[in-house]
This record gives sequence, C-alpha cells and structure tokens, in this order.
Amino acid sequence: MQELKILYLYPDMLELYGDYGNIQVLKYRMEQRNISCKIDQYSINDEAPDFSSYDIVFAGGGADNEQSILADDLVKYKDNIKKAVQNGVFFLLICGAYQLFGKYYKGVEGNIIPGLEVFPYYTEAIADRKKRCIGNIVLEVELQNGKKTQVIGFENHGGQTFEGMAPFGKVLFGNGNSFGDTHEGFFIGNVIATYLHGPLLSKNPEVADYIIKYCLERKYKENIELQSLDDEFENKCREQLLKKLLK
Amino acid sequence: MNAIYIMILKLINIILKLFGKHGGNIIGKIAIKLNKNMLEYFKINCPVIAVTATNGKTSTNNCIAYTLETAGNKVISNKEGNNMETGILSTLIKNSTITGKIKADYITFEVDESYVPKIFKTIRLDTLVILDFFRDQLDRNGEVETLILKINEFLKTYTGNLVLNADDPNVARLGKANENNKNIYYYRVQKYEYATQNMKEAGEGKFCPFCKTRLEYEYYQYSHIGKFHCPKCSYGENQIYKEAQNVDLKERSFDVEGITYKIQDNSIYTIYNYVAVLSVMSLYHIPTEDVVNAFSKFALKNGRLEAIKVNNIPTIINLAKNPTGANVSLRLLKEDEEEKELLFVLNDNIADGFDVSWIWDINFDKLLENKVTRIITAGTRPYDIAIRIKTSGYNSKQIIPCESLETAVQELYKTKTKKYVIANYTALQPTRQAIFKLER
Repeated sequence: MQELKILYLYPDMLELYGDYGNIQVLKYRMEQRNISCKIDQYSINDEAPDFSSYDIVFAGGGADNEQSILADDLVKYKDNIKKAVQNGVFFLLICGAYQLFGKYYKGVEGNIIPGLEVFPYYTEAIADRKKRCIGNIVLEVELQNGKKTQVIGFENHGGQTFEGMAPFGKVLFGNGNSFGDTHEGFFIGNVIATYLHGPLLSKNPEVADYIIKYCLERKYKENIELQSLDDEFENKCREQLLKKLLK
Repeated sequence: MNAIYIMILKLINIILKLFGKHGGNIIGKIAIKLNKNMLEYFKINCPVIAVTATNGKTSTNNCIAYTLETAGNKVISNKEGNNMETGILSTLIKNSTITGKIKADYITFEVDESYVPKIFKTIRLDTLVILDFFRDQLDRNGEVETLILKINEFLKTYTGNLVLNADDPNVARLGKANENNKNIYYYRVQKYEYATQNMKEAGEGKFCPFCKTRLEYEYYQYSHIGKFHCPKCSYGENQIYKEAQNVDLKERSFDVEGITYKIQDNSIYTIYNYVAVLSVMSLYHIPTEDVVNAFSKFALKNGRLEAIKVNNIPTIINLAKNPTGANVSLRLLKEDEEEKELLFVLNDNIADGFDVSWIWDINFDKLLENKVTRIITAGTRPYDIAIRIKTSGYNSKQIIPCESLETAVQELYKTKTKKYVIANYTALQPTRQAIFKLER
C-alpha cells in the first residue's frame, strides 16, 4: 500500500481559520484511493522533526499573539527546512505561514520580524490596522502543462506581500498579495504558499490532487494516474460560487 | 428638545406597531441621527444589569429578566436581542417617560461585546455578567483577543459587580483588570459526565494571558471551557462565589449549595448560563424559591434549543453562529441515544460573515456511530457544509444538499425519525418559519 507522510506544524497555534481542513481533505482523498496517510504533529517543546523525512509539510494561519510566539521557535529549523524544500518535499503554507517563510514581516511600528528567508518575498503591515484584504477570492492558476484552473478561497490579511516573483495565480476576483493586486501567493513545483483560506483544498480538489500526485511520483519514482473520485458536492459548490463571484 | 424627540420616536413606535412591525432598533437608529448623545438623556434610578459574551447572551439576559419578574419585579429588557447601541436606545425610548424617566425595579440588557465600553460610559452599570469568549465571525469581528482587550480597558475603572465564568480563561482574566474592584464574583460548574481530558473542539486561550505559559487543564467541559490553571503564575485559582454540582442532563437538573434546580433544557453550556443567572439573583437577594420556580419554567421559544413537535416528530432547533455554538449542538445530538436526522442550514450573508471556513472547526466526528441516519444541508452555502461533513468520514450518499430551504425542510420530514436542526444567524428564523409552515 502506498503511503504519504504529512508533518503538521503548530496545530495548536496556527489554527485560526479552519486551515486544518486542508489536511483532512488530503487524508480523505488519499484514503478514498487506498493510499495510507500518516499525520505527525509538531509544536513548541516537541522533539525536533526531520523535515526531509516527510512528503508534505503543512502550516496554517494563526492569531497575532500565537504567531509571534512561534516565529522564534520556527527559526531554529531554518536550515533543515531549506534542505527539505531543495529535496522536493511539498510545502503547503497558508496565510501566516506564507508570511513566515519569506524574508521578513515589517510591523505597523516599523519593527522587523525576521522570516525563515526560504523564499524571496517579504510582507509589510498596513499602517491602518482596520484595513485588511477581506473577502472571497478567485484565482486563475496554472498547475502544470499549461492547463488553467480556477481556484476559490477566502482572504483575510492585513499584511501586504511583495516580490514573490512566482505567484500562485492571477487574481480574477478579490485582492491578492496586496490591495487590488493582479497576483496572489507564491508557487514553485513543490511549494504552494497563499493567503487563501476556505480551506483552500476543500473547494479546489484539483489542487489537492496535484499535491497528492506530485508526492506519489516523487516518492515512488513512477508516473501516477490518480483514480477519479466522486466530486459532485465540490463541483456544485464551485459552480455556485464562480457564478456568484465572476458574474 | 430631547423631550420632543422622544415624543416623536414613541409615536413612530406606535405607528410601527400598528403595521405589525416589531421596531427592533429602528427608533434607536433614528434617535442617534437626531442626537448622538441621546443615551445621556435617560434618568435611571434602578440597578442596571448587563450580559455580554460570544454565545448565550440572549438566553441568559432573558432568564435574568424572567427570574426577576417571577420574584415580582418590574423589569425592562432588550429581550429580542437588539444588543448594539441602537437596540439599547430603542428599549429605553419605548419604556421611558417623555422627560426620560425610566420606571422599573431593574433594567437588564444583553450587550454586544464590542459595545460594552461605549454604552456603559454613559449608563451607570451595576452588574456586568461575562459568560464566554469564542472565535466568532473572524472576517467581521477580528480576533477574540482584540475584543477582550477592549473590555479589559473598560473594566480598569469599573467598580460595580463583575460576574465571571471561572472556567473560561478568556473571561476569568478580566477579574484582574482593576485591582481596586472588590466586587468580583466567579461562578463555575463541576466536571460533568461528558467532560474530556483533551480539547475536542476548537478553542481559544491556550496560553496564560499574564505569563504566556501553556495552560494546564484538569478536564474540558466543552471547547476551552474547563478547569484550568497556569503552572507558572497560578492564574486560574479564584475564589468561587457559586458552583454547580451533580449536573444531570437526563434529569435536567443541577445543585448549587445543596439546592436542586430543575431546568427545561439539557446542555452543559446552558447550565453555565443558569449558574451565572443564579449568581446575579444572589447578589440582589432574590428568594431562592423564586429562582427555583423561574428556572423550572424558563424556556426561550426562539430557536435557542427550541424543542418542538412537527407533525408529531420531535424536533430540536438550535442557533449556531460559530464553531462552539455548532459543537455544543452536536454534543447534544451525540449524547442523545436515539436515531436522528440532521438539517444544517448555512448562510453567508453580511450578518453571518462572508467567510464560512469556520465550519471546519466544527467537530463532525462519529456522526454515523451516533446514529445520525441522514443529513440535509441548506442555506446559501449548502455544498460547503456537505463537503465538510463528507470529509469527516460520513457517507456522502446519506448527505442531501438542497439549494432551497423549502425543499430541504420537505425532504427532512419525509421520514418520521427525530430531527435536529442547526442554523446559523440569518438562517435561523427563515428555517423556523419553513418548519412551522410545514405543520399547517
């Protein structure tokens, strides 16, 4: 039986917007295909994980308070994480985690919270604390081979992220990396970093399957054709939302 | 000038009534337009009691008013739940003389968490009850912490009675906002039958608000409500004013200081609210027999744990506007050993918050094992909730999403199985109406 291992970072701290749903969706879509899914958790005070021994690393968004506590902890693993990214481990990073993996986060008072510097982008808080990019968002994403798909989610962020160079998608509806941006997120073959909650994978089974396929092919070194699943609810959900948002 | 305004507003209220309109907070809205300091105009000579929280405001406020009334008092209250400044103003205008005098023995208000400082800067508050703080509509309200800090700021200079839930770390911390306030009263509920060792549902306040150490729990009652303490700075050790013991959900009863209180509903979270009410009654020396009597009869017929029969089929309707609200409803359903069906109505209107990702913080585990034989989903986002439930492991063939509420309700009552209905904020009343219509 094929098996994929997921490392879930700071489950008790980065858990504000139901982002854990992404892991549940991955697990569900693996188990429906008889692929075993093993989930390990890591949080502050736990034994140091070896990031390269996992197929997928996941981290979500959290409250400001929690996020500042864990930033200090995460920095300890900078080299370990960089190596895992180079080795091709898949990283799915949502919202706060997206920001933490960049160069830095500049707060309202100009204070710099150093990031992991794994990726080239940086984030700046907007001076007016009440102004946030909030709302439904639709992206046009090219996952592979020129095939375009629409990705639906919900954004809720005050931070404005710049110089990502390799965006996750083109914004069709909503804000994106900053107010009124044309693009959103950061995407290289084995990394999706994005502001999209929803959770992201719950409404975008194509993205979930892209991750599963990528990880299986990397691990088992063969071409994988994923068995198709009954996505009736997902398809109807997408149809309803796309009709409403892109009218 | 204000007297004329009040006269006009009272007239508008009468006209609204003639047309069968409830008014809600309309006259409050007009009042603020006429004079933004209208709140200052009222002369109040009786105690003002207020309830704030994320969940349970309406029920608790109504129960306080009902119990005071049972004891023979004249009470003015925003019972319908209009809990922002305009709602409070509407209630005062409807019940005042033209000169702004309020004739009552007590005024009780439920107040939206973010409006507490604003309203009670003007109106003298005698007792503030705080029940709980949970995550709620993040896209509208922001983080819970911001709200707590706002109330903490207000409490720094407040010296009235403060009735606090000792088992919610987000609430109990507010007892330390003003060291000079000696009128802090903590209430709690002893461990109940379904309490757990681990947190089963998303919660807040995992870290000590004073020293940032991870809090330790002896047990969790639900969400993050339970017996906690900070291993480093001993936060959590409070002197308890009222404590419920021997919670019995089957018998629908609990004991406080050797007296048994019978109630109409059977959920752990409402028992917390009853103990809060009981604490308030004790502060105002309301006779125990009146409290026992009031509790045994109190039932709010507005979709808060509303138990009805539809074509003879038992149905329980409950509001759930955030994960904790939904989780406590599902707890009830899991604690019920009979076979049942569930209708979940999820809207994403402005008052609900546009973001529906909170449904992923709901614990849908073990629905099949708990004899849920069929699930209907409806509202403006029927598929989102269907996907959520399917992903939890529930058989997708037993989930029926319906885009129309009427269709959903008809589908639900095709079988005779007991029903549980969970609806979020703007979905609740339309769902109730659709169900009531069916019975006719």
